[in-house]
Amino acid sequence: MKVFLDRLSKYFGQVKAVDNLTLAIEDGEFVALLGPSGCGKTTTLLTIAGFYKPTAGFVLFDDKVVNELPPRERNIGMVFQSYALYPHMSVLDNITFPLRLKKVSRKERETKAKALASLLRIEDILERKPAEISGGQQQRVALARALIKEPGLLLLDEPLSNLDAKLRVTMRAEIKRLQKDLGITTILVTHDQVEAMTMADRIAVLETGKLQQVGPPEELYNSPANLFVAGFIGTPPMNFLAATLEKREGKFFITTERFCLPLPDSVTMKICQIPTPHDVIVGIRPENISIGQGEIRGEIYVVEPLGRDTLVSLHIGTEIIKVIAPPTFRASPGEQVQLTFSEEKVHLFDKETGKSLLV
Amino acid sequence: MAYKRGTKAIPYLILGFVAAPFLIMYVGFFLRAFGEKMVLGIIPAQWGIYNFRFLWQPITWGLEQTTMWTAFGNTMFFATLSGFIVTVICMLAGYALSRVEFRGRSFFLILQLVLHAVPGQILLIAVFFLLLYIGLLHRIPGVALARAALEIPLGVWMAKGFFDGIPWDVERAAMVDGCTRLQVWYKIFLPLVKPGIAAVFIWGFLFAWHDFIYVYTLLPGTIKVMATLIQSLLATEVIDYGYLAALSLIYSIPPLSLFIFLQRALLKVPIFGGKGT
Repeated sequence: MKVFLDRLSKYFGQVKAVDNLTLAIEDGEFVALLGPSGCGKTTTLLTIAGFYKPTAGFVLFDDKVVNELPPRERNIGMVFQSYALYPHMSVLDNITFPLRLKKVSRKERETKAKALASLLRIEDILERKPAEISGGQQQRVALARALIKEPGLLLLDEPLSNLDAKLRVTMRAEIKRLQKDLGITTILVTHDQVEAMTMADRIAVLETGKLQQVGPPEELYNSPANLFVAGFIGTPPMNFLAATLEKREGKFFITTERFCLPLPDSVTMKICQIPTPHDVIVGIRPENISIGQGEIRGEIYVVEPLGRDTLVSLHIGTEIIKVIAPPTFRASPGEQVQLTFSEEKVHLFDKETGKSLLV
Repeated sequence: MAYKRGTKAIPYLILGFVAAPFLIMYVGFFLRAFGEKMVLGIIPAQWGIYNFRFLWQPITWGLEQTTMWTAFGNTMFFATLSGFIVTVICMLAGYALSRVEFRGRSFFLILQLVLHAVPGQILLIAVFFLLLYIGLLHRIPGVALARAALEIPLGVWMAKGFFDGIPWDVERAAMVDGCTRLQVWYKIFLPLVKPGIAAVFIWGFLFAWHDFIYVYTLLPGTIKVMATLIQSLLATEVIDYGYLAALSLIYSIPPLSLFIFLQRALLKVPIFGGKGT
C-alpha cells in the first residue's frame, strides 16, 4: 500500500501537533518517524490510523483519500508501545481476534495463527494469558495480531521501548527481516535514532510538528539539513562550535579564537556564493577528529573506554567536544593534546537560521 | 515504652467507643432473634427458632395476611430489576462519557452530580403521576424503574471511573482489529470491567433492597416487599420484637451474601495491556 500525507495538519486547540506535513511512502517501504517526545510523531501515526481526523490536509492510501474512513476499514495493523493485548483472552484468541471479527472460519483462523506463531516463535505459549508471558513474548503476540489479517500497512508505535536493551537489538533485526520478507509497507514511530537508523529505509525527522528532513539513514547522517537533524542523529552527537566563515585570497577559512581551519575545495564549491565574513556553527562528528598532531590544541577533560573504542572529552577553550579515539588511547585529565579535523567531513550551519550551508 | 503502648491504644479506644452503640445494637438484634422468653427485656432465658415461624406460617396483621416468601420474592424481583436497569444504563453511559468526545460532555457529568444531590423523596409526587400516565403505577417494574433512576447519576460516575482505567491503546487496538464502537464495548471493555459491573449492580441492588418510601408510596398495600411488611408489623397494637428481629435478620441476608459473594470480583484489579502500562 502506498501512503501519501498531503499537507497534513492536526491542531489540538492552539497547539499545532502536526504542521503542514507532506510525506510520500512507497509500497513496501519501511519509514521511520523520528523525533523527541512531543514532536508530533505519534499524532501523525494516529491520524494515519484514523483515530484523529486531520485539521487540514489529506491522508491518501493508494491514491484514495481516507480522511473519513474509520480505523477498522483502513486495512492496517498496529503494534502499540504497551502492546495493548486483551488481558482476558488467551494468546491464541488475541492473535485470531481480527479474523473472528471478520467471521473467518475457526479452522482457517487457527491455521493462520499457527503459521504466524511459528514464524514469530511463540507456538508454545498460545494457550497462556498475556499476563503470564514475558515482555518480549507479548511483543511478538502483538506483532502476530497486527499481521494476521495481512494488512496493507503496518504501524509500529515505539514497539521496542518497553524491552530490555539486549532484546531490543534482537527484535530490531527480527522486525526488519520480517518486514522485508512480507514486503509490507511499514511506518515506525520512535524517539530512538539508533532504532530508526538500523531499521528504516528512510527516516522522517520531526520537530514541533514540522518535518525537518526526510531521507535514507546515510543521507541524514552525512548531510543533515539543519542543526536539529545534525544534533539528533548519531551517538555520541555531533560537536558544534561557533565560528566565522572568512575568505582570504580566494580561499575559505573558518576561524575561532582558538584555531583557523582552511576548507577543502569540496566544501568551498558549495559555499562560494555566501558573503563573508559570515557567522556559522561548525559541526564535526566525534569520529572525524583525530588526536595526535595538528593545529588545534585541546585539554583532556575525561576519558571513557568503551571497549571497541574510547570516548574522549576535551576542552577547546571553554567548549567541550567529544572525540572517538582508538581503544588503545590513554591520557590523563588536564593533559594537553593536538587535534586534527577531517576537513571534508566538516558541516557548516547558518548561525541565524540553523540551516546547513552545504546542502 | 509505656508511653508508646499508651499512644497505640488510643485509636482503638476511640474506635471502640464509636463502634460500641452499633455493636450493642447488633448483639441485641441477634439475641432477640434467637432468644425466647426474654429476662429483663434483653437476656434470653431459652434459645430457639420459634421467632422464625414465619418461614413456614403465613404472616397476619389486622385482617390481612401474606407469607414471608411472597414478600421476599417481591423484594428480590424489585431489587434485581432495579440493579439490572442501573447496570445496563450506567455501563453504556459510563463508556460514552469516558471515551467519546461530544458537546456538553462535562456539563452532563456535572449535572449528574447535581442530580444526585436532589433527595429522591421530593420527586415522589412527580414520579407517582409519571408512572400513572405510563401505566406502570402499582407495579413492581414501574417502581424499579423509578428507583433505578435515582441511583443512575452516581452509578454513571462509578462506571466511568472503571472505563477510565482501561488504557486507550487497548481500545485503539480493538478498533484497528476491526471492532465497531459497540463491539469494543461488549467484546473488550465489559470483560475488563467485570468488577465495575459488580460494583454498579450492587449499588443499584442495595438501594432498591432497602428502599422504603418508594415502595410504600408507589405500590398498593396488597403487594408487600420486606420493608413494607416489617412496617406493617410495627403498626400493629402488640409488637413482637423477637418476631421482627428474626424477620429483619432474614431481610439482611441477601445484601450481605451478595456483598461477600462479589467481594472478590470487587477487589480483583485486572492487569491491563501488558508491561509498562
